[in-house]
Order: sequence, then C-alpha cells, then structure tokens
Amino acid sequence: MSYQITIEPLGHTVEAEEGQTILDACLRAGVWLPHACCHGLCATCKVQVVDGDYEHGNASPFALMDFEREERKALACCATVTSDVTIEADVDEDPDARHYPVQDFEGVVEEIVALSPTIKGIRIRLPGAGIAFQAGQYVQVQIPGLDQPRAFSLASRPDDPTLVELNVRRVPNGQGTTYLHDVLKQGDTIRFTGPLGRFFVRLSDPQPLIFMAGGSGLSSPRSMILDLLASGEQRDITLVYGARNRAELYYDDEFRVLASQHPNFHYLPALNEPTETCNWTGARGFVHDAAVAHFGNDFRGHRAYLCGPPVMIEACIRSLMQGRLFERDIYTEKFLTSADGANALARSPLFRSL
Amino acid sequence: MNMPTNPQKPAKKLSLKENYSHLTRGLGWDTSYQPMDKVFPQDKFEGIKIHDWDKWEDPFRLTMDAYWKYQGEKEKKLYAIVDAFQQNNGQFNVTDARYINTLKLFLTGVSPLEYAAHRGFAMAGRNFRGTSARIAAQMQAIDELRHAQTQAHTISHYNKFFNGLHDYTHMHDRVWYLSVPKSYFEDAMSAGPFEFVTAISFSFEYVLTNLLFMPFMSGAAYNGDMATVTFGFSAQSDESRHMTLGLEVVKFILEQDPGNVPIVQKWLDKWFWRGYRLLALVSMMMDYMLPKRVMSWAEAWEMYFEQNGGALFNDLTRYGIRMPKYHEVASMEKHRLSHETWATFYNYTHAAAFHTWVPEESEMKWLSEKYPTTFDKLYRPRFEHWREQQAKGERFYNGTLPMLCQLCQIPMFFTEPDDPTKICYRETTYRDEKFHFCSDGCKDIFDNEPEKYIHSWLPVHQIYQGNCFRPGTDPTAPGFDPLAEVLQYYGFHVGEDGGEYLGSPDAKNWKAWTGKPAVSE
Repeated sequence: MSYQITIEPLGHTVEAEEGQTILDACLRAGVWLPHACCHGLCATCKVQVVDGDYEHGNASPFALMDFEREERKALACCATVTSDVTIEADVDEDPDARHYPVQDFEGVVEEIVALSPTIKGIRIRLPGAGIAFQAGQYVQVQIPGLDQPRAFSLASRPDDPTLVELNVRRVPNGQGTTYLHDVLKQGDTIRFTGPLGRFFVRLSDPQPLIFMAGGSGLSSPRSMILDLLASGEQRDITLVYGARNRAELYYDDEFRVLASQHPNFHYLPALNEPTETCNWTGARGFVHDAAVAHFGNDFRGHRAYLCGPPVMIEACIRSLMQGRLFERDIYTEKFLTSADGANALARSPLFRSL
Repeated sequence: MNMPTNPQKPAKKLSLKENYSHLTRGLGWDTSYQPMDKVFPQDKFEGIKIHDWDKWEDPFRLTMDAYWKYQGEKEKKLYAIVDAFQQNNGQFNVTDARYINTLKLFLTGVSPLEYAAHRGFAMAGRNFRGTSARIAAQMQAIDELRHAQTQAHTISHYNKFFNGLHDYTHMHDRVWYLSVPKSYFEDAMSAGPFEFVTAISFSFEYVLTNLLFMPFMSGAAYNGDMATVTFGFSAQSDESRHMTLGLEVVKFILEQDPGNVPIVQKWLDKWFWRGYRLLALVSMMMDYMLPKRVMSWAEAWEMYFEQNGGALFNDLTRYGIRMPKYHEVASMEKHRLSHETWATFYNYTHAAAFHTWVPEESEMKWLSEKYPTTFDKLYRPRFEHWREQQAKGERFYNGTLPMLCQLCQIPMFFTEPDDPTKICYRETTYRDEKFHFCSDGCKDIFDNEPEKYIHSWLPVHQIYQGNCFRPGTDPTAPGFDPLAEVLQYYGFHVGEDGGEYLGSPDAKNWKAWTGKPAVSE
C-alpha cells in the first residue's frame, strides 16, 4: 500500500511506501527538506501536517513537544503516513529545481574511452526514455561485490537522455574505480540510481557564471556548459579548469572549439605541473590562482559553481571570498574519495553548505 | 445574510518563509519625518559599514506569536519540575554542601549578567537599522529576562537553606570578585551595537559558552542538582538560537565591507581575552568546587576551545580573520589556571560570600592525574601546608588587599606565560598615571581604548579611597576595623557567608538536616 505526500509550498506530490518516513520519501523523490540528525532529536526537519493521518515514530519529546503534536507538527525523519497527507515544510521554492524522480537504471556500456592517463569516459546506453536529469546532477553506481555504491556526476547533456557519460578517475587502491577501469568492458551491464544532488545551474539568477573544475570534477561543469550553450545562453560563462599537465587536460579541444564559437564563453585552462613536453603557454598554477589572475581578485556580481576534489574546492572558496563572493553565490560539488575521509578537517557550523 | 461570494479562489497560503518575512521585515519602514541617520544614531560611529541590510540571512524563522507560545510552554515545564524539586527537598540530594558553593558563585556572578544581557540586547534591538536583526535582538532580550527570572527563583529557594544568597543584586554592584563579571558586561554594553553583539552573541555565546555551561550543567547532573539541570535544558533551547545569531552577525558584518574585517578582528581579540579571563572562575569550579568532577579545566579547554574553536577560526580564515591574539597564552596557562585561582580565593574567602577548602587527599590524587606536570610540583605542597596549618587551628586568611588588574579587575595572581613561578606584572603610563595589568592581553585592550578604562570602578581602590563603608561610618573612631566595615557594606553576614567551609554554618546544617557528612566520600 502506498500513499501520496503533497509538499507545500512546492505543490509537489511524492509516493510513500508503508513504513517509509516522510523525509526518506521526499529525498528519494528529489524533494529536499531540511534535516540533520535523521533520528528524531534535533527537530531540524519539523513540518506541519495540513491534512491526513500519520504516526510520530521515535520523535523525542524534547524535540517535538506535546503542544506541537496537538498542533499536528511532525518530525519528517521519523514520521510515517497512514493516508494521503499534505505537509507544509520550511523549504524555499527553488525556482530552478526540477525535482526529477530518483529511479533505478540498468544500462549497457556502449563505449569506454581513455580521456587522460588516469580518467576514463564510460558511455552508457539506457533503454526507453532514458534518464531525466538536470545538468550537474550525479548518479550512484552499483559496483559488483561492494555494498556501497559510488557517486559519479553525469558528464553528458540532459537533452541526450539515453546515452549518458561518466568520467572516472582512477583512485589508487580504490575498489570502485579499479573495477570501472580494469574490469568493466564494452557490452557489460551497469546499474545506477539517480539523478541526485542539488548542484545545477540557477538559471533564474541573472548574474554571469563562473565554473571552476579540477580533475574529473570537469564532468558536471561540462554537462552544465554544454546544456547552457545549446540552449542559447547569452550571459558570460567562464570555465577555469585545472589539471596537472597537458595529458590530464581532457576535453581541452572541445572547449577551445566552443570558446571560438561562442563569444560569451571563456575557457581558461591552467596546469600546475606542466612538463617540457606539454609545450604549455597558458596559465600556470592551480585553478584558484588562474581565476584570481583572470578576474583581478574581484568576483563580485557572479555566481560560482565549483566541482572537484576537496582541497581544490577549499582553495577556490577562499579565493572567491577574498574576492568578495560569499556563500549565497557559491555552489559546490565535492568529489570525495575514501582517501579524503580520514584527514578531513573538523568544520564549524559557520557555513551551511560550503 | 447577503454575503458576497468571492468568485476568485482563496489566496494561496503563505509559506513559512513568507509568513516570517511579513512578520519581520514586513513590519519595518523607513522614516520620513526624521532622517534614518537621526533615528538610528548609533550604528555608524564604530566604523562598521553596512551597505545592504537585506543581505542579512535570518538564522532562524521564529515569529513573535510562535515565540510566546514556545516560551510559555517551556516555563510551564520548568516550573513544574522546580516545584517538585522544592517539595521533595531536592537541595538535600546533592553530593554535599560544598557543591552549593558553585551555585553561589554562579548565581551571584552570572545571573545578574542574564539581566545585563536583557538590557544589552534591548539596546542593540533599538539601534540596528535592519529589521530582522532588530527582531532577533529583541527576542533574545526577552529570553535573557526569562533566564534572569528563573534563576531568581532558584536563588530564592537555595537562600532558604544556605548562606550567601540573600542579596545578590546588592552584592553584584559592590563585591570585589563580582566586579569581574559585572565590568565585563558593562564594557560590552557601553560599546556600540555591533561591538556588543560581536562580544556577547559571538565571542561569548558562541565561542566560549560551552566552557561555562558544560561544567555548570554537567556538574549539576553529576552532583544530583536536578533543578539546575532542568533549567539548563530549558535555557539550552534558547542558547542554540543565540549561538546561530552570533554566527550570522559576524558573517554579515564581515561580508558587508572589507573595511569591517580589521575592526572585527580587533573585537575578537579583545573579547576572546576578556571572556577567557572571566572563565578563570569557571576553571576553579571544575577542578576544585564540584565534589564529583566532570572533566578537568585543561581537558575542557582542549575540547571546547582548541578543537571546536580551532575549527571555527579555521573557517573564519576564509574571511581573512585569524585566531584571536594570545590564544596560545591561554593554552600555556591551562595547566595552572584553576590552581592559581582557587588558591587566591582560599586566601580571601573571609571576604567572599562563598566558602573554600583544601581539597581532600582523593581529590588531590585526581588533580595529580589530570595535571601531571604541574600539580604535585607547584600546588600540592602549598595545599598540604595549609592543611597542616588548619589542623593546628591556624587556618590562613590573607589580611591585606590584593592589587587588581585595571582591565579584567581580577587580583594580579596570574603567572608569566613561560614561568609558572613568577607573577606576571604589566604596566602602562597614560597621562602621567601608571596603570597595572595582569597580562599582555589586558594591557593591549587598555592601550587601545585607555579613556574607557582609566575610571574603572576597581573595588580595592574604592576601599582605599573610603568609598566602601556604610553611610555614617567614622574611620577615625577608636577600634575601627576597616575589613569588617567593608563586609558590612557588601551586605555580608560576617562569619556565616564566607570563610572556611569546614565548621561553617552551612556544613553544620548539612550534617544536622541530612545526616550526611559535610564532605562526601
């Protein structure tokens, strides 16, 4: 038996299974609700139930007081529904979110190309209508023999929904990427779940866009930029893209061609360890160095989209903030690998999402 | 009835955000009879530049109507538990009557600060041009008043059974060690609105509050004081709102103008050091005054400042803010702070409204374990000496008055950062007058704003100037006892409120009323 949950003020309706929490049902359906502890203690996910029947689950009496229960408040992370319900949640209508439902997909590997010495492009053919997603979103890929799926951004354009591309950098000793590099081959079946994530272009924002990408973090910005240019975007778009050397700078030719075709698209590749054989005359240094030099250390009046490994993201955030661009204008997608967890710096609650 | 039927469909219900916005920003307006600069005369002189108040991001969305409801419900819960505590004589379930002395220090030292915070936030709420900031400050002003009231109820209850709590407002304005928290808060209140919120909302409520509340609340739980624990829970739900306000304030100021960054840095340096000096009182609560200990001061400093505060300041470096000046001195002092402070109060306890004592042997063992590099070498011999003196009936009291730091107003007992055996003295000459300080941190604050501190009401100076006697006192009368007179002026009951704990009326009553020993095993 499943029920429908309508989320105001979005007006979106999602399906909930018997026993599935409101939060889980919403997140699975691509509707983001504020949440934190996920087990009924912190009350971050408190919602108003406008209509319908529900159970409170294990909501703590301190997090959800008696009078709030009488007022039909509920903690979305614990509450389950027993009829169709309408809730009102503390969410901002993001005019740019499309809320594509999360689904499970099974595709066939059509092609694997070596994009650089460490990065492979895996192109997957999907049956039927394919996957509806927003450029910048990611999928969770099942790796045979591993419990946890691995996240990869979709590098291809949303208007080609039956042929998706993943860019996979080999993580030394990484079980997931080792499988994708060494075992997976053309014609194999591959399963994934998606689309996920809130990393997408805020089209309704009128400011010019800056994309900053490092390594295989290029995949999301590539999809976003291809999508923008294909739909006739007129605002200035700058891609600052960093790699170690010339051989790692993949899709370089494609972006040079795009830059020559679109006067509003500026392509700024930077190498931090160019070798003799690179014959490099472009920017040297890291992504943030190149961006600071290009923008004269003044990023005001832009929206920035950052995608790449945590160290690169952090360096870019610092540079952007020194150049007076702050959290509300910065979106990030961090590419975490198992190696990043151990030495991650403790963070304070000063920033909500950066 | 001929009610016209509305042909249109009902207006869409407002989202929580829109509702909040209407009840906050929607209530503000720009004045037209008078220029805004005259209506809000205090939000520019500090040098903080705000270009766009609309960039203020509301840290929480609580409207006034919902606020009353929540707080009313909280009051009900809290007073029900406090009532039950009183009817069951819960005060006799604490570990032993030594514990009550932590309450005395907290209730006389900190509770009046809740009221001062109420006043301060009411003023900040009046002075901010931005509507949302004004409303957040006003809500906090009401929270603080509520906290002051609930603590007054606690004082009233404990005052029925224990000494030293009979007139906390009178004492707060006069007593030497209470001038430390009092002057701290008055320094903030007499600054501009931006410095006030940076000092109180950010530096105190966010950066240092865990070091105050953790030992007080966990200490209460460990020592069986359930009324205080409940108050803690009730206040904590407000504190999380206060802390998010502190974060938002600092982010907002830093993002508005690059010129604000050095001003904020200076305030963070100042208010870190002022707050840290105030916490010296907490360090001795943790290490000496709680019969059952939660954790040592050094451990708390490592966890709550060095780790959590380190993460915060690491995030702040993105704005160009660095760690507060002299944070490394605070870390160097963490193995001696509580010992030096407690020893000083042991000296002067006859002039205080709470008791002190020599730690028990088992407690000294705990102190040796927690402070292996300092306690046995530097502090244990002194306590053992005092214990011997006490056994001979010669309990030591210091009959002289200590020299106070012009800035933090704490007696000058802190030692050199690199030498725990040498008292740290600093001085500065301003307009041909010499001023004395306990540390480089306090001296720097003075040097930055000397006019603000040259007329500080320093209790020891005031005693020597003859300003701390009751009206009509004749210091030339034969047999005049200045100390006894000062204690009368403080409103103390001499021989009851202060002095050694062992043998005090509190200790005797505890034994008589509970049948339990004055010092728990």
